[in-house]
Amino acid sequence: MQAVQRKPARKIGGQIGLSLFTVLFVLMIVAPFVWLLLAAFKSGKELYSMPVQILPSSFSLQNFKDAFTVQPLTNYIVNSIVVAVVSTLLIIIIASLVSFALARTQIKGKRVVLLMLLSISLLPPVTILNPIYLMMSNLRMMNTTLGLALVLVAIELPTAAWYLMSFFQTIPDALEESAMIDGANVVTIFCRILMPLVAPGVFTVSIMTFIAVWNNYLFASVLNPSKKARTVTVALTMYAGETTTPWNTIAAAAIVACVPLVIMVLICQRRIVSGMVDGAVKG
Amino acid sequence: MHNKQRLVFGYLALIPAVIVFAVFIVYPVFNTFYLSFCSYRTQTIRQGARFIGFANYVQMFGDDKMWTALKFTVLFTVISVVLESVLGMLCALIMNRQGKTRGLVCAMILIPWCIPTVVSGLMWNYIFAESYGVLNYLLQVMGLSSQPVRWLTDSRYAFLSILISDVWKTVPYMSLLMLSALKTVDSSYLEAAQIDGANKVQSFFKISMPCMKPIIIVAVMFRTIQSFRIYDLIRVLTNGGPQGKTTSLTIYTITQYTTYGNMGYGAALAVLTFIISMIIAVCFQDGVKSKLEV
Repeated sequence: MQAVQRKPARKIGGQIGLSLFTVLFVLMIVAPFVWLLLAAFKSGKELYSMPVQILPSSFSLQNFKDAFTVQPLTNYIVNSIVVAVVSTLLIIIIASLVSFALARTQIKGKRVVLLMLLSISLLPPVTILNPIYLMMSNLRMMNTTLGLALVLVAIELPTAAWYLMSFFQTIPDALEESAMIDGANVVTIFCRILMPLVAPGVFTVSIMTFIAVWNNYLFASVLNPSKKARTVTVALTMYAGETTTPWNTIAAAAIVACVPLVIMVLICQRRIVSGMVDGAVKG
Repeated sequence: MHNKQRLVFGYLALIPAVIVFAVFIVYPVFNTFYLSFCSYRTQTIRQGARFIGFANYVQMFGDDKMWTALKFTVLFTVISVVLESVLGMLCALIMNRQGKTRGLVCAMILIPWCIPTVVSGLMWNYIFAESYGVLNYLLQVMGLSSQPVRWLTDSRYAFLSILISDVWKTVPYMSLLMLSALKTVDSSYLEAAQIDGANKVQSFFKISMPCMKPIIIVAVMFRTIQSFRIYDLIRVLTNGGPQGKTTSLTIYTITQYTTYGNMGYGAALAVLTFIISMIIAVCFQDGVKSKLEV
């Protein structure tokens, strides 16, 4: 009798523990980010007051205005968007071709191509940094969006190719065979049949690639240091002065730099999660 | 006929990737190896690179700062990877048991993953601030410390601060990968084990773990490689200080390039980072192999 009673009690305890953990886990993740968000609305005085003032006294947008006037933030955002869009487009085209060749043809040397993809992703970026810097200055491609975008294509290509490969593998052969019987050539099959079928995958991979390129700091800081060509991530480190660190302006600029990413992620949450998982499981 | 056409297209499809790979990866890697045997300085760049044999490497092995940076990087990599894998697995195990709220948790998890490392670094820098930082304030309110902790300027705490920031950014993503690994475990095995009288801990280590091993190895391999090349986070948190105590190998290499303009010596350091990364990859042989199969 006692044993029967104890079991539900333990179960309820477990449920409470589980919920408690979930709340704690989400809080740990979100709290620092919320703290940054609150700082973006605080005045200089509220920022450094002791005891710490948790909520700003008013939600004024002054810091956001400052973020755009102290530094040409609009310009930096445009640069980041151009670099990310150009890179993502090129990566999607090149990676789709590679994944098609690997997943759906009988070519020889697949292992060599896979080894190539793997070694790029294992390669520490610092190993190629200086030669790329020298190459870009010789080609007069320093401080250009195209130069930075091309380098990031090479860096982010393997991840995109792995994800796309898992999408190409899911398409049944029968679809292609029937198109072939109808007399379609391989280019038509690739463009008209396979690409539309992997479109959801392409969409997910585009978003993940866009985020990765947008977030790059190392190459962006070395290849595009000029005020005109700077990207957002590099610009964020430029708000701090010699003696003062205006955390409210920095926080506002940082929030602006994150907003596009957070919105994208929250809208496509499910696809991204399953994309990541596919990449990890099948890739 | 169609088959031949298909093969030709397959080979042609690889060309763009091979060109990008050759120009931006293969050539730079060989160039770095070559420059590591040269004296090549920004200040005298017009004279070009002068071959000096192993001099840069001799200098490197006698360089105390290099050893400090290497020790820091290895220690940070080991601690962060172990901690993040264990925490990631624990979170995944708990997430695996709940139904309704999982969607919300997944959405929240993606926030640290998607924001730029520079932003998370700045964010933690603000939280760790000595006199007005919220962390010191909380510690003081809870009565855990009487005087403010110098999170970023005291060498004992700087390491911990970087670790906390890295854990915040990485554990959520890790737990998502671990959760996907847990999903691959066939539940009928677990039921059979339960019938045979295995407890939860036993069935986790004896059944779940072996099933998940392939995925976990790949996840941990990439995490180790990435942790070893840590740069952005340290750049905005401590910039390698105090007294170079948190200088990672990448930070040190880039200081050689930019501050001293010593491209030959920097290249030797970059080669060292490259070789260690390859050694890490060899240690995760099974992970490498699984990535080489279509």
